[in-house]
Amino acid sequence: MSLVGSSNPEYVVARVRARRGMLYSTEEYRKLTRMSPPEIARFMEESTYEAEINALGSRHGGVDLIEYALNANLAKQFEEILDWSEGELYDLIVRYLRKFDAGNVKTVIRGIYTDASREAIETDLIRAGEFDDRLIRRLLEAESIEAVVEILEGTIYGEPLAAAYEEYEETDVLVPLENAIDRAFYERLLGNLPRGEPVRQYEAFLKAEIDFRNADNALRLARSGAEIDPAEYFIDGGDLFDRDTLARLARDLDELVEYIADSDYADELGPALRELEVADSLIAFEHATDTALLNYGDKLGTRHPVSVTPVISYILAKEREVENIRAIARGKEAGLSAAEIEEDLVIT
Amino acid sequence: MIETANELGHVAMQEGEVLIEADTAAALAVGLAALAAGYAERGIGAAAVGAMAEDDDLFVNGLILTVLPETIVILALVVVFIV
Repeated sequence: MSLVGSSNPEYVVARVRARRGMLYSTEEYRKLTRMSPPEIARFMEESTYEAEINALGSRHGGVDLIEYALNANLAKQFEEILDWSEGELYDLIVRYLRKFDAGNVKTVIRGIYTDASREAIETDLIRAGEFDDRLIRRLLEAESIEAVVEILEGTIYGEPLAAAYEEYEETDVLVPLENAIDRAFYERLLGNLPRGEPVRQYEAFLKAEIDFRNADNALRLARSGAEIDPAEYFIDGGDLFDRDTLARLARDLDELVEYIADSDYADELGPALRELEVADSLIAFEHATDTALLNYGDKLGTRHPVSVTPVISYILAKEREVENIRAIARGKEAGLSAAEIEEDLVIT
Repeated sequence: MIETANELGHVAMQEGEVLIEADTAAALAVGLAALAAGYAERGIGAAAVGAMAEDDDLFVNGLILTVLPETIVILALVVVFIV
C-alpha cells in the first residue's frame, strides 16, 4: 500500500500495462524475420515507433534508421515513466535506469578518447537515464576527459571519476575510468533499498542480473584463457559469487560450470550448461541467462500488481523488444536466413 | 481501555443517559463509509486516468470502475433509515 503523496504506483502501472499490450507479439516477430530492413522500418512506422521513424527518416536510412529509432523510442518511453512516477517509486525505477547514464558517460569518454565527432557521439547516446538534456549537452560540448570529469562533479559519478582520473593520466587507458563508472552505478543499485515484499522481489531480480553478468564474464574469461585478472571485472552485490570465488573459478571452465550447476539457478540454466559442455558455445548460455531474466521479469509483473514490479517488468520487456528488433535488422543486413535469426531472438 | 469504556458506559447508563445518540452513530457510520469510498476511489481513479491517457476508449470503463466504491456509501445510507 502506498502512502498518500509519496508514491503513485496505480497511475504508472496502469499506463505501463497499456504500453505492454502494444509490444510486438511472437506472431509479429515471425513476420519481421521475413522482411527486408526497409520493410521493417515501414512496419515500425505503423506501430509505436511512428514518431521516431518519421523524425529520423530524413537523416538516416536502412538499418541505421531502425537502430536510432529504437534507441530514441526506448529513451522516450523510459523518460516518460520517470516523469510519471513520484517518491519512492521514482527512486526504485531510477536505480535501474541509471545504467543508461553510466552507458552515456562511457560513450562520451570513449568518443573523446578516439576523437570522434560530436554528431557521432550524440547519435550513440540513449537518453533514458536521470541526466537532463542540459547536462548531456554540456557533456557533448566537453573537449577533454578532464572536462567531462569536472562536469560530472556533484553527480554520483563525480567522486569515483575524479579518483580514477589520476590513474588514467598515469596509464592512458580507459579501464580505470570505466570501472569507476560501473562501480558508482552498482553501489547505488542495491544500497539503501526500502522495505517491503515487492521491493524484496525487485532486489532478488537485481541480484540475479548481477550474478548472471558475473557468470557471463567469468565464462568468457575462462574460455578465452586470456591473462586478465577476473577480479577487475567482478561486480559486487550478487549472491552467487564473491571476488575470490570468481577469481578462482574463472581459471577453470569445468569447475565454473559445475559451480553454476550446483547453484540456485540450476533449474533455469541447466539445459544451457549441458549444451555448453557439448557444443562449447557461449551463445546458448547467454541466451539462457537472458531468457531466465525475462521469465523472472514476467512473473514479477503479476505477483504484486500495485507496486514497482510491474513497471520493472515492462522496462525489461521493452528492452528485450528493442534488442530483438535490432537483432532482426542486423541479421537481415548480414544476410542470415529467417530461421537463423529466429534462433537469436529471446521470446517468451 | 475497553474495560474502562465499558465501565464508563455503565455509569452513563445508570444515570439514564446514553454514550452516543443513535442519530449521531448513524451519521458517523455514513461518514466513515464515505471516507473509505474516497480512499478506494483514489487508487482506482489514478489507475483509470493512467489507462485513459494511453487509450481514450477506456473512458467509460474507467468512469464505471472509479465510482464502484460509491456503493459502500449507498449501503451505509441504509443505516440512516433503520435507526
